[in-house]
Amino acid sequence: MSDRNESDRLQQESTFQRLIRRPEAGSFAVMFVVLVLIAFASNGNAMNALGIKNNLSIISQFGIIATGAALLMIAGEFDLSIGSMIGFAGMSMAMMLKWGLPFGLGEATPFSAFFITLAMTLALGWLIGTIVVRSGLSSFIVSLGFLFGLRGVTEVTFRLINQSTQISGLQDFKEESFFARLFGGESFGWFYDLAFAMGFNLNRRGEQWVTGLDARVVWWILVVLIAYIILSRTQIGNWIYATGDNKESARANGVPVNRVKVGLFMTTAFCATIFAACQVFDTNTADAAKGNLKELEAIAIAVVGGILMTGGFGSIIGVAFGAVTFGLVANAVFYIPWIDGSFYRVFVGAVLLAAVFANERIRKRITGGI
Amino acid sequence: MAEPYVRLENIVKRFGPFTALNGVNLDVHSGEVHALLGDNGAGKSTLIKIMSGVHAPTEGTIYVEGKPAVFTSPRDATAAGIGTVYQDLAINPLMSVTRNFFMGRELYKGPHGLGLMKMDEMNEIAHDEMLKIGIDISDPTQAVGTMSGGQRQTLAIARAIHFGAKVLILDEPTSALGQKQQMGVLKTIKKVRKRGDIAVIFITHNEIHSQLVADRYTFLALGQVIGAGKKDELEHNEIRRLMAGGAEMRDLEQELADI
Repeated sequence: MSDRNESDRLQQESTFQRLIRRPEAGSFAVMFVVLVLIAFASNGNAMNALGIKNNLSIISQFGIIATGAALLMIAGEFDLSIGSMIGFAGMSMAMMLKWGLPFGLGEATPFSAFFITLAMTLALGWLIGTIVVRSGLSSFIVSLGFLFGLRGVTEVTFRLINQSTQISGLQDFKEESFFARLFGGESFGWFYDLAFAMGFNLNRRGEQWVTGLDARVVWWILVVLIAYIILSRTQIGNWIYATGDNKESARANGVPVNRVKVGLFMTTAFCATIFAACQVFDTNTADAAKGNLKELEAIAIAVVGGILMTGGFGSIIGVAFGAVTFGLVANAVFYIPWIDGSFYRVFVGAVLLAAVFANERIRKRITGGI
Repeated sequence: MAEPYVRLENIVKRFGPFTALNGVNLDVHSGEVHALLGDNGAGKSTLIKIMSGVHAPTEGTIYVEGKPAVFTSPRDATAAGIGTVYQDLAINPLMSVTRNFFMGRELYKGPHGLGLMKMDEMNEIAHDEMLKIGIDISDPTQAVGTMSGGQRQTLAIARAIHFGAKVLILDEPTSALGQKQQMGVLKTIKKVRKRGDIAVIFITHNEIHSQLVADRYTFLALGQVIGAGKKDELEHNEIRRLMAGGAEMRDLEQELADI
């Protein structure tokens, strides 16, 4: 009896037990099931050369904004302005590319259009974050204000300068601008070339079918990688967890809680801007309605990825699995002809609820049922 | 007699018209456990908040190692070696032992903020520091939420000591714990005392607990010191009498019997 201590009561687990208890485990399982189901139901079409490209396109879009949303949620806050920020950033870039830089500063290049827009969106992210930490109001309400406000500003600006809430037929900047190609161009061409050389990736005439993935796939991978390293390995990562878990005790230990939060609101704004830049330079269009409801999808993906609604816990890799799941299901209608596209929303609703229950169980297990 | 590490002299604290502390003296010596006892509202919390830099005293002086010190923030007090372990412990249940231990003071290489944490080194230090004062956690990466109240207390104490506390203020560390865990915390206090270089201020309601570990007592009632002294100078009954805020225990018994 006496040589027993409390730590003995913590059961030593096998590697497999540890693996299935990781926060990513649930979202990996869901992703795996969805992947297999869609591959079979589409007779493999969803996983052929073009299918992979199209799926990864939307997966990356989801993934980029969900990663930003997830970091912020781990720190205990929400950003409902992501969708409107996408619309705003897209408008800003397209407008400069079409009508020139503001204040008559001359023609815009993709480079200047992007960085001026980024400066504005980062400033907006800073503003949202600062209002949240200074006022102590719920970020839900503050960012909801920006959801409406920013969308309105986007539409008004469009009509004032452009007379229409759409811009289409911009010059194809990625033809000559390397910078535009970074967002709207292609990536992983070597992979498709290799597949072609090995006898896959053929169209009906036996030529190379798909030339590469979207450039945004690289952005997604970069965003996930950087976010993963920051969250799990760096000092700031520890501050993010501490801020979301219990901000008073974090503050008592010297964690700069407010700066962490403001920085993460700027991160979500950054992710929204990348999302918009990829869209603008890929399609050479912009629309005031772009990004609508994306903030809610980003939050849903984060939750399915194992992020707790209450903050303080979660994994970026899990969110990446969540983005794959959502992207596959959102695209399923294109590969499975007999399915109704609105089943995507049914799926989102059901998976979201299941994920919240699962996450709540995880939280209770860790905190001992409190 | 050795110089006390911290000496409070004639501390007065008023909140508007309300006098929370009215001329309190307190000597805290390294290597001793100083029990601070008193009923609810006696001024214990105000006193520790003054020592930990949360409140500034209205009058009176704090001496640290014989030199007058002014604390304008908790950070000043921490820098002067006064570590406070509050009842909520300032611990995050979802985070691992190591991450809690180094929260806000991570070891890293590279730039501040974005520097990579030295996880292995931090795991080792957290484990060793907790082992020194009594518990051997098998896995420093386990979430604090899985630990018992006593273990969490140990974590908070080990953390304060590791980051340079010379005076450890423990705010009712045994309340809200089960019997066995209370004993664990008392053992921890003894182990800290044994190091010899740390003074412990042990705030409690529990007379028995203070008897078990304390070297020196200060009793507060209504903002004043009503009794103080070393353990061997105070009779057991005297302690009990003072614990009841100075009222005779027998009177209280009589009153209770009359109801």
